[in-house]
Amino acid sequence: MAVNGDQTGQSAAGPPGSKSDGGASANRKLRRGLILGGAVLGANAALAGRLWQLQVVETETYQEQAARNRLRTEPVRPVRGLVFDRNREPLVRNLPEFGVWVTPADVPKSREGSIIASLAALTGERPDDLRFKLSQARYDPGRPVQVAANVQRDSALAIEERRHDLPGVQVRSGIRRQYLHGDAFGHMLGFVGPVPAESLEEYQALGVGFDETVGLSGLERQFQGALRGTDGSRKVEIDALGRELNEIESEAPVEGRHLVLTVSVREQRAIREILARHLALRDAGAGVAVVIRPEDGSVVALASLPDYDNNAFGAGGDPSVLTRLVTDPRRPLINHAVAGLYPPGSSYKVIAASAALETGIVLPQTKIRCDGQLVLPTGWAFNDWLATGHGMVDLHRGISESCNIYFYNISGGNPYTNLTGFGNRRLVEYERAFGFGEASGIDLPGEAAGLVPTAEWKQGNLGQPWVTGDTYHAAIGQGLVQVTPLQIAMMYAALGNGGRLLRPRLVDRIVDTQGNVLQRLPVSERGQLPVSKEHLRLLRNALLEAVNGRNGTGKYARSEFAVVAGKTGTAEYSGTRDSQDKLPSHAWFAGYAPAENPEYAFAVLVRDGGEGAFAAAPIARDIIDYLMSGEMPPLPQDRPDFIPPTRRLA
Amino acid sequence: MTHALRRFDLAVIIPSIALVSAGILILSTSGDPGQTGLDHKAVQQGVFVAIGLAAALVMAFLDYRLLHAVALPAFILGTILVAAVVVFGDASLGAQRWFVVGPIVIQPSEIMKLAVIIFLARFLARRGERVRSIRTLLLSLLIVLVPAALVFIEPDLGSALVFVAIWLAMVFVAGARWWHALIPAGMALAAFPFAWFFAQDYMRERFVAFLDPGSDPLGAGYNVLQARISIGSGGWWGQGIGQGTQSQLEFLRVRDTDFIFAVLGEQLGFVGALGVIMFFTILLAQAVIISIRARDDFGRYLAIGIAGMLFFQSFVNIGMNVGLMPVTGITLPLLSFGRNSLVVTLAAIGILLSINAHRTAAPHRQQGVWWVSSVRRMAARPESPPRP
Repeated sequence: MAVNGDQTGQSAAGPPGSKSDGGASANRKLRRGLILGGAVLGANAALAGRLWQLQVVETETYQEQAARNRLRTEPVRPVRGLVFDRNREPLVRNLPEFGVWVTPADVPKSREGSIIASLAALTGERPDDLRFKLSQARYDPGRPVQVAANVQRDSALAIEERRHDLPGVQVRSGIRRQYLHGDAFGHMLGFVGPVPAESLEEYQALGVGFDETVGLSGLERQFQGALRGTDGSRKVEIDALGRELNEIESEAPVEGRHLVLTVSVREQRAIREILARHLALRDAGAGVAVVIRPEDGSVVALASLPDYDNNAFGAGGDPSVLTRLVTDPRRPLINHAVAGLYPPGSSYKVIAASAALETGIVLPQTKIRCDGQLVLPTGWAFNDWLATGHGMVDLHRGISESCNIYFYNISGGNPYTNLTGFGNRRLVEYERAFGFGEASGIDLPGEAAGLVPTAEWKQGNLGQPWVTGDTYHAAIGQGLVQVTPLQIAMMYAALGNGGRLLRPRLVDRIVDTQGNVLQRLPVSERGQLPVSKEHLRLLRNALLEAVNGRNGTGKYARSEFAVVAGKTGTAEYSGTRDSQDKLPSHAWFAGYAPAENPEYAFAVLVRDGGEGAFAAAPIARDIIDYLMSGEMPPLPQDRPDFIPPTRRLA
Repeated sequence: MTHALRRFDLAVIIPSIALVSAGILILSTSGDPGQTGLDHKAVQQGVFVAIGLAAALVMAFLDYRLLHAVALPAFILGTILVAAVVVFGDASLGAQRWFVVGPIVIQPSEIMKLAVIIFLARFLARRGERVRSIRTLLLSLLIVLVPAALVFIEPDLGSALVFVAIWLAMVFVAGARWWHALIPAGMALAAFPFAWFFAQDYMRERFVAFLDPGSDPLGAGYNVLQARISIGSGGWWGQGIGQGTQSQLEFLRVRDTDFIFAVLGEQLGFVGALGVIMFFTILLAQAVIISIRARDDFGRYLAIGIAGMLFFQSFVNIGMNVGLMPVTGITLPLLSFGRNSLVVTLAAIGILLSINAHRTAAPHRQQGVWWVSSVRRMAARPESPPRP
């Protein structure tokens, strides 16, 4: 450095020529200094210009953004409405629970993975589910969403304690559905669950958050909108950590509406129990019992066995139970009363009888010969259930003794006599008028319409032409005909109430939290049976005779508490033939009681139950016994007239 | 005007005092409620302002030419300290930037900035016209690159860039050829892919966030966006001291250092923020004038180095706050909370005053060994001009 210093000294004291260099150098330094100064001025002017832009020109935009930062509007979820029975006894309860909520805006992207992992560990949710929910929530990042429900108290506390490691995560109290009469009302009430991914958009269009639980089946689903209520909202001031500072304004939610049903806990449970007792005598028994009030179509009981405890679907349900429900071949998750389709068998014969009377094909007293078999010229043989035949049968006996041959003759005609029959086209008209082929309109999701077979349908779906035999089968409720037990019950209710075909009512009224009636679901008439008063009286007499007559097929339905009118049905379906070469059959019994002025109409189905007379009629009797007396009947096997389901036991 | 009075150049002193006062004012509004007394950042800042003012006073009254003597030792010591902090320093936020010695926090990179300015000024003054040779230019670049590289490794990209800015300003005024500037520029361009490859993730994120702050509002772009919202929502007059939801509700982060300007912009509005820019402009313009008028090249380069440092830091910091510059972690001189940087900056301003004070002494001809001439001149010169 000393050398350097010497050199500097020398050059500074150098030859005179260097002076001009020094002058040029000094000028350059001055110039460059000024350039730098200019650069400073220019750059700072640019900053000032930018400030002008931000703070003067665009200030409103930024003030808005600052307000948006500071204020958060979040929905206030209403409390889901309850469901009560006819006597205002609750069927469901809202239990408090902890839920985990996340405000995506407060979850740094870089920490999302670790936060999801922590939450998954603490709540037991699947990380993929959490990730999906968070990704959905990011569309509206300022809005907190629920990512886990029914969190254990310990987990909730642990999450609260680790708040600083879990930015954007909150524990909130929520509610959980508890169904008070699990299986007896399982099908009817259904259950709630997370919004299914495939119908996300539908629900969002209704203002339902993807993080909510919604009704997925039963009344919970049918009345989702009313039960849910309408969101309120609150505007809160928050800090940068998302902590709420204070509430600016709020709007209370419209709480979920309550449903008051037409059924009562006591009757529904008892009727289910009666059905269960009978089915318990069988292997893998399955069946349906529907009871309706004929005067207004109100549902008294709706049981489909096997059924399920809808509490199994809540959080914390036993997965093995669910697996069993899903894999059971009897399909317990389906409410067979409204969604099960079966051939109705002879309980359907009143339709053909009505058609015959109204079209004048036969007179009530017209007698038709039954030899136990009708062989068409084509060689097809159509049998009666009684191989020996019924002899000369009029309409009254045709119904009460359930003579198939009689109904073959009046519907499809008889090539050996001059009887032409009213034909399938006419039969279809009557079937439809009796409420078949379309949903009855009960307040439950998934109701099946059934099938009223026509020539067009058969050609279109099976590629085969309609033949006389098809008409024969349709007239006796066999073959292609498909109905639900509820449709049968509604038909018998109409027969019992003088011909008014009603829409079944399961929900009587919708009330608010104070109990004010918001909506009363009306009694609505779907139509009038196309049967004259006189003919209806004839039909009702035949149904009375079917139970109470000497040769009535429904004698096992006789009750000591009321006069029962009804009709058995034994509906064969294609399956494995038994030792006597008979097809398996569903056992039906449908009717009403008391016969004169019916209070109840019913349809009982024992799936694969064999003879309606033996399998279904005693169940109907027990139900009527119970409804009329208010007492549980004795166990079926304790009765002196007990018929063991031998066909099964053999 | 007397020598003694000329030391107190109001165009330097008023902006400096105004800016440190604004810094303390803003810090006083943004502390945590629990902080009282010495825990409060505003109080701490006040303490360091006092220390810094004392350092400035000492520097102002010393002849800046005495810094010749400390140039080399300060540079070597500084380099060792910076190297040591890379190896041994306390890790904070993923970076090793300082030592803690008892109650004192030493951030070598801050001290090193001044050491580099002094050493480079001496080097360039000695080299004279040879700065126009590529060899001298590259040597001077080496002086800067050693500490810059070390600081970059800490990692502290912002401070590393400050060294480069200081070098650019100094060699520019010293007279380096224009086209020589292309050499480091070319080197930087060629190095960019490598730098990108070796850069810390945070550097890359910040670069991307600068280009598009909306890309990740909660990640790297968050601060940029919130700073812009803070400043923009200030409007003409600001929300008022201690007001403003962006800073008070802590949407804005790093309020005490990198983004103090945004806090000021929110609270004091366009008027206050423009005031800060104007004070910086006055201070920097005066620093350039002092450089131009300096009695010798050493003083000239010293002043321009200080000006370059202050300008680069203030421009990049404010530019980052208003979204014109990427986030580099450079603090705002005089305003941002900082212990070492505040003392060093005020000391540098003291040096400016000293250079200014000595500008119109007898027509300058530096001769011989620096201290011989200095001593000779001091002996020859009356302490004050003769009275009329």
